[in-house]
Amino acid sequence: MVENSLLDKIRLDLFNYDEKAIKADVEKALEEGSSPLEVIDVLSGCMREIGDKFARLELFLTDLMMAGDTMKVALEILLPKIPKEKISTKGKIVIGTVKGDIHDIGKNIVSAMLTASGFEVYDIGKDVSASKFLEEAEKVKADIIGASALMTTTMPALKDLIDYIKAKNLRNKYKIIIGGGPVTKEYAEEIGADAYAENAVEAIKVIENLIKK
Amino acid sequence: MNSVNFFEVLKRSLSGPLVSEKEFNLMVSKKLKEVVKEYDIKFDGETLVPSDDSLADDVYKAALDFYSEVGTYCMDTERIIKFSEEEIKEGLKNAPHKAFFGEGKEAKTFIPRKPESKEPPWCHVGAGIAVSNEEIHSKLVEGYASIPEADSISVPALAFIEAVPIRESPIEFYGALKMLASAKEALKRAGKPGMPILNLVSTAASQIAGIAVSAAQFGLKPSNGWLVPTYPELKIGNNELCKAAYLLSWGANIGAEYSPLIGGYSGGPEGTAVVFVANCIQGILVLKSTYQLAWITNVIDRCSSTKDAIWALAVSGQAISRNISFPLIQFHYQAAGPTTKMLFYEVAAGMIEIVASGQAIETAHPARAVEIDYVTPLEMKFSVEVAYAATGMKRATANEIVKELLKKYENNIKNAPKGKKYQECFDLKTGKPNEEYLKIYSEVKEELKDIGVPIE
Repeated sequence: MVENSLLDKIRLDLFNYDEKAIKADVEKALEEGSSPLEVIDVLSGCMREIGDKFARLELFLTDLMMAGDTMKVALEILLPKIPKEKISTKGKIVIGTVKGDIHDIGKNIVSAMLTASGFEVYDIGKDVSASKFLEEAEKVKADIIGASALMTTTMPALKDLIDYIKAKNLRNKYKIIIGGGPVTKEYAEEIGADAYAENAVEAIKVIENLIKK
Repeated sequence: MNSVNFFEVLKRSLSGPLVSEKEFNLMVSKKLKEVVKEYDIKFDGETLVPSDDSLADDVYKAALDFYSEVGTYCMDTERIIKFSEEEIKEGLKNAPHKAFFGEGKEAKTFIPRKPESKEPPWCHVGAGIAVSNEEIHSKLVEGYASIPEADSISVPALAFIEAVPIRESPIEFYGALKMLASAKEALKRAGKPGMPILNLVSTAASQIAGIAVSAAQFGLKPSNGWLVPTYPELKIGNNELCKAAYLLSWGANIGAEYSPLIGGYSGGPEGTAVVFVANCIQGILVLKSTYQLAWITNVIDRCSSTKDAIWALAVSGQAISRNISFPLIQFHYQAAGPTTKMLFYEVAAGMIEIVASGQAIETAHPARAVEIDYVTPLEMKFSVEVAYAATGMKRATANEIVKELLKKYENNIKNAPKGKKYQECFDLKTGKPNEEYLKIYSEVKEELKDIGVPIE
């Protein structure tokens, strides 16, 4: 068990998005006898706090991204030291903006908040085809596929995605959540999505519920 | 010294510094934080329409510093299009400080205003919100053009053609042609065939479809206005540059379109106000725009009626009005929809903020501008009436009125009422609002008089 001051320092490193310092301090904590799970627990608490602050707009998208990157540095050291059966993430999600749409800020926010909430996130970017969504989901053995569209003209590509997965007889393998400016709950039901969220904060809650089902 | 011309911009998009998009996003955030700190730009959470000229000027100076360091990112070439501070100042000096739109008796000159100006604002009437069919489309355009103070119009997008959803595909081309035919007929019925449309080409979201329907054989004149979008923050693609090249070669009006996001890469309202001004500079230098159309959205509440968005639009509008003097149209996304009092409160707050801050208006964007058919000419008429009532208003007075309006709706932003669709509150045959909606409209106008808005 390491002294609290070192765990406090690691906490501070994450809040300062200091990748170099967190690498050194996490290594030191492990050397001094801290368990990897204990350190992860501290870091997860920080990430939740950062997500909550974003929901109140006390922190912003770049903070979420930098915190996510800093967390990743720490996890790269910690995860290999934990037996596989003890590693628990909330779930794996493949996320992207649909074909034809290059608006990605909303998707980036959801992606960063999911990382902050403890999900294993595979962000495949913008203007992504239905086949690419499925290919990535199969590759990483995802639990959930999240897709967004910002324009009424690109919204039909959400239906294409679901139709494509159905056509490959894999619809029951994945939970699918959709979102974006013109998307509504009614549209999600109409095209056969499992869930819809109006904004990033709601998306995290909806995905947490979805994964439990 | 000559301004950097468009061909040189294209060359820089192929030869500028190479960075990844993520690196550029982080660079934007970092530099914005620095200039906001350096110029001590602060939103106090209380003043929504500031009267402090030095604050507006500092936001402008911060934007100059910021943009000369950061530039514009070309997403396709992964290169930064950069300008020196000297080139930026020269470009702004040589920018068109007025714009010419329309044909015949509807031909008009758009001249920028100053804060608290006694000149009425340019009234850009309508919204590019999607509607389900041509009948509603046609009635809306006729309704917008019939508003006497309308200087230009924004036509709705068509969501379907022959019951097929219009989407990012060749279908867009046919949808846009149908939309243009509907708009032209409606303008003739309104007796204003030469009225300029400044949101071309709604219904054609892809730049290729937009260019295709703008070909000479389809009858559009260059005295209309074409929107060329850029992406938050300060990003553009080859498709947009290609559309700009086409329009420039034709001599058509280019409208730079941008929408900074509070909570996104620009951070809070302070950084977002600075990046808004930087977007204006970008629109002049990169796109060679003759006018601009822009708004700010709060990413959590997905509208512009929040305190922080109102402040950021007011400050950036004042900064541009005082220091650049360029034809800029600002607008707000409202959370509530038609037939609700909340929509009118939000619209009034937005119009008063924009007009007192010295900018031109685009009218209401109900229900966050994303619900098909949730738009009518009545909230557009109301927008114009409030904008005219706010003409000449001191910013301090505007600030007090906007704060009073906020009290009426702020707590309902997260769960705003969606209201009713056009066909549920307007008569499709006559194009007139029903009694229920008219009553709400009249009641809110009386409430506005009670809080000091000199509305007729």
